[in-house]
Amino acid sequence: MSRVSPRAAAALAAAVAAALIALPARAHHSFGSYNMAVTRVVTGVVTRVNPDANHLQIFFAPMQENRKNVLRDDQGNPVIWAVEMGGSAQMAREGVSVDSFPPGTIFSIGLHPLRTSNAVGTRGPSGAIYKCPWRKPPEPGKNCDSVPGSIEIGTGGLLKPTG
Amino acid sequence: MPVIEAIHVLAGATVFGTILIVDLRLLGFPDTRRPVTRVCSEMLRITWIAFAVSLTAGALMFSANAHTYVGNTAFRLKMLALLGAGVNMALFHAFTFRNVKAWDQNAPAPLAARIAGATSILIWVCVIFLARWIGFTKGFDFKIPVNTHINFQF
Repeated sequence: MSRVSPRAAAALAAAVAAALIALPARAHHSFGSYNMAVTRVVTGVVTRVNPDANHLQIFFAPMQENRKNVLRDDQGNPVIWAVEMGGSAQMAREGVSVDSFPPGTIFSIGLHPLRTSNAVGTRGPSGAIYKCPWRKPPEPGKNCDSVPGSIEIGTGGLLKPTG
Repeated sequence: MPVIEAIHVLAGATVFGTILIVDLRLLGFPDTRRPVTRVCSEMLRITWIAFAVSLTAGALMFSANAHTYVGNTAFRLKMLALLGAGVNMALFHAFTFRNVKAWDQNAPAPLAARIAGATSILIWVCVIFLARWIGFTKGFDFKIPVNTHINFQF
């Protein structure tokens, strides 16, 4: 019976060990499906966090400019948008998780919309997320970064809106 | 988690690689000198260990996002393909492999064995393609109802 050589076994063990201890790369595959030339800054109320392994997703209801309610459709139901960001493990380390963003959380984010839908966006490679204190929305027209006691996640502040 | 995904992919590659060696031997590649029974006994124990690891890691990935995966066509087809691979393997071992002594070494495998090998390769390539396709298609699931306890007025 043929046996695996010690050298091959060592190489395999090294490869597996390298894969297991490798730090997750912050680089991302293409953002090609998103319009990265457009940045929208939105403040919304979390309806659900989907802790997907590859990209954590936050589903939320965008707030009206008066910050007293959320946008609603013709039937009066909240309009739901979604934004995706890094992998769930990475985002949990940054402070975004199912536990830290329960339904009802108010937050602000700069996102780049999907080319085929305005209701979906990506955080992209940069920009901070701000979480308002519980049940304390910003003043009309403002975002969570203006609310005392808000939590900044990431660095660089909110992205500047374009388009 | 990236580690779980890495384990799932590495174990899956091991499953495919070891099965491919068996399937190619059934097809007569590179030759028929090595006994089929020996190739099977050497490879398939690695296959089963790797499959168990891959299944465990896959179940962990599934559990984090079950609703979305269940509704994803590529995921459903992947499960169907895995079922097909299992049926193909079960039929091969239940019938064709019984008289392996007749074609174990230095003889071409019977047509049924070659068909089983070719079918296996085809199905496992489909499994890999569909597995990768899940990532491109699962997207955003807006069908989950909004939690009615959320107070949207401030």
